[in-house]
Amino acid sequence: MKKFLWKRAVASAISLICLIILVFFLSRLTGDPTDLFLPETATQEARDNYRRVHGLDQPLVSQFFRYVTDLVQLNFGESVRRAEPAIDPVLRGFAWTLQLATVTMALVTLAAITLGSLAAFHVGGFFDRVATFFSLMGASAPDFWIAIIAIVVFSVGLGWLPTSGTGSVWHWIMPVAVLFIRPFGLILQVVRGSMITALNSAYVKTARAKGVENRPIIFVHALRNALLPVITVIGDQTAAILNGAVIVETIFGFPGVGKLMIDSILQRDFNVILAAIMVTAFAIFILNIMIDLLYAVLDPRIRY
Amino acid sequence: MAYKLGRIAAAFMVSAVAGHAMAQEVTVVLAEELDNVDPCEASRSNIGRVILQNVSETLTELVPGTGVEPRLATSWEETEKGTWRFHLREGVKFSDGTAFDAEDVAHSIARMTNPDLICEIGNKYFGGIELKTNVVDENTIDITPDPVQPIMPLLASTITIAPSEAPMDAYVDVPIGTGPYVWDEYVRGQRIKLSANPDYWGEAPSVTGATYLFRSDASVRAAMVKTGEADIAPNIALQDATTDMDFSYPNSETVYMRLDHSIPPLDDVRVRQALNYAVDKEAFLGTILADGTIIAKGITPPSTIGYNDEVEPYPFDLEKAKALLAEAKADGVPVDTKITVVGRIGNFSAVQETMEALLSMWQDAGFNIELQMQEVGDWVEHLVRPFAEDRGPEIVQAMHDNANGDPVFSMFFKYDCEGAQSATCDEKLDTMIEEATALSGDERAAKWSETFAYTHEIAADVMLWHMVGFSRVNPRLDFEPTIKTNSELQLGQIKFN
Repeated sequence: MKKFLWKRAVASAISLICLIILVFFLSRLTGDPTDLFLPETATQEARDNYRRVHGLDQPLVSQFFRYVTDLVQLNFGESVRRAEPAIDPVLRGFAWTLQLATVTMALVTLAAITLGSLAAFHVGGFFDRVATFFSLMGASAPDFWIAIIAIVVFSVGLGWLPTSGTGSVWHWIMPVAVLFIRPFGLILQVVRGSMITALNSAYVKTARAKGVENRPIIFVHALRNALLPVITVIGDQTAAILNGAVIVETIFGFPGVGKLMIDSILQRDFNVILAAIMVTAFAIFILNIMIDLLYAVLDPRIRY
Repeated sequence: MAYKLGRIAAAFMVSAVAGHAMAQEVTVVLAEELDNVDPCEASRSNIGRVILQNVSETLTELVPGTGVEPRLATSWEETEKGTWRFHLREGVKFSDGTAFDAEDVAHSIARMTNPDLICEIGNKYFGGIELKTNVVDENTIDITPDPVQPIMPLLASTITIAPSEAPMDAYVDVPIGTGPYVWDEYVRGQRIKLSANPDYWGEAPSVTGATYLFRSDASVRAAMVKTGEADIAPNIALQDATTDMDFSYPNSETVYMRLDHSIPPLDDVRVRQALNYAVDKEAFLGTILADGTIIAKGITPPSTIGYNDEVEPYPFDLEKAKALLAEAKADGVPVDTKITVVGRIGNFSAVQETMEALLSMWQDAGFNIELQMQEVGDWVEHLVRPFAEDRGPEIVQAMHDNANGDPVFSMFFKYDCEGAQSATCDEKLDTMIEEATALSGDERAAKWSETFAYTHEIAADVMLWHMVGFSRVNPRLDFEPTIKTNSELQLGQIKFN
């Protein structure tokens, strides 16, 4: 196990180093933040001074060397737009996104596995058709449209829910619901397909022949074996939300890391962009390790 | 439903406990979060709307329709040529309890012009100007700008005052000011709270506290006022401004096309006039642009001193445009040279459609012209000097903001031979700008008026529109947005119906 974790850590570190190099140079290609930060009327002297203060007058290689040196010491530098260290807004934003992802994916997993398993039990039946129709529709509907329609209907029209914000449990309902729809549709389809295969396997037929009831057949015998591909998709979908549920965060005023990344790219706040990428990349690395470990728990044949 | 019931119950309980107090607080929903809260950055609209004249006050204040009024300075005079003496209000305290005096003014000026701190106010209004200060006594300060600034009292309306304890080389996390409100808390990404300053020197405001929220999406901001979650949304989209709660107001922005006079064929006045005659500015109103948008004839909005009412915008006259172009061609002007229009992506709503429509109109008049829409970083290289040596003839689309009431904030850097954004070099125009800048009072207004007439005559640019903004205001408030709402939102001016 230790050897496996070490191997994964090395592989992830190599990916991370490539990512750092790529993002550093690609972000510089978008231009210089000086013109965005200073007013149009700023003198050339003021522009030169801004570049000097933020080290933007240095050759790109020097900037990169300084960045890597700081990074080794876990110093992400100062935000050029905000009067604070770059890591601070990233950690604040990531905490919100992590909560959003955790709540959403917990609900998605529970609902998709339950309904997907039931749909697979009577393939082509009424329940299967309804579940398939709604899951495919959910997986293909655009987030921003659903979010705006939800606000118009549930906040402006009915007055049942607040439009946006984070103040109470009521504020979480629409963002979680909108984020729920797409991964739910996708995972439900994977569960359904995987369960159909499992329910047609020899060990399930044997269990049936022995008179085992439907519920333990579905949720004990078949589901455990059907879950391996499902876990991979759950991991992918969780990573997608961690990487930034930008639309949902923007519309519902959720101060998450996805919105922060987009704002930082538009403002060319390089240190915040890099800090955000490092934090989310690290989180996804941890997530992947957890999924690998879960594989071993679900399938004892897997040895690391 | 439960939320709705919960809100009703909560409102009942709160009103029972707190009586009328809660009703005196307002919630403002803004488009952008504040990345910085330092008073020396208050000329940036997202920051100014929260702290300007609420937390941090200026020496003087420009009141639309009235002129320069006292704020922290009660009076001022020019004691000798170029030196302005400001008499400061006595008995004023900062929200940290320290007394306000002339040393604070001197410190605030030194701080906002400190090159290592990089403050927007210093860069925007005092670039290229050196400000010397002399503390005469506790309540009197002399300010001597170099070069001389006859409008120093107006410029003083941009100087926010921070206490002497504010660091010279770092932004502050909590703004300390003398204003009617005190900075209570800033939960980053979520809200800012202000409450009434019990020790304020002026009249106690009706609004006892304010909460600022941030939502990027304009339709969400509009919905928040409609549902009662917010009281004011200062910047909503045209398509959302459909209710009785919505106000339109001139937002001090002027859209224009900057012509490069140094490169043929744009160096010929007939070609520049033809570009003006070829545009049907009326056709945009109520279609691509909002109703209420004003056709521009100068770089500053009508509220600016010296705005020339006698100048008529170039009318749409395609035949005249064609005739002028033919006349220039007959005289050997290379009118067939390809001209590039450089537009700024996302500069204002429908900028892409506007640029495409303009391009089509100029093509109809016979111009050989192409459009390039660029991101701000690339676009600014076309707008601000130094310009590329190998450039061709260019027309740069820009939007200019002047809510400060005086053309000096615009004219030098837009039209002087040395102006940072000037692609014009006309000795007569330079002289007029210099003379107007040095004058004051009615003479100043008359000279600016004359200068505007001249820029119109030589078709210095293609002036297009003075834009409007839209705000949604909860009917419980007695508040109407003005041209200043684009840069500040004084809670002290809000009353309740």
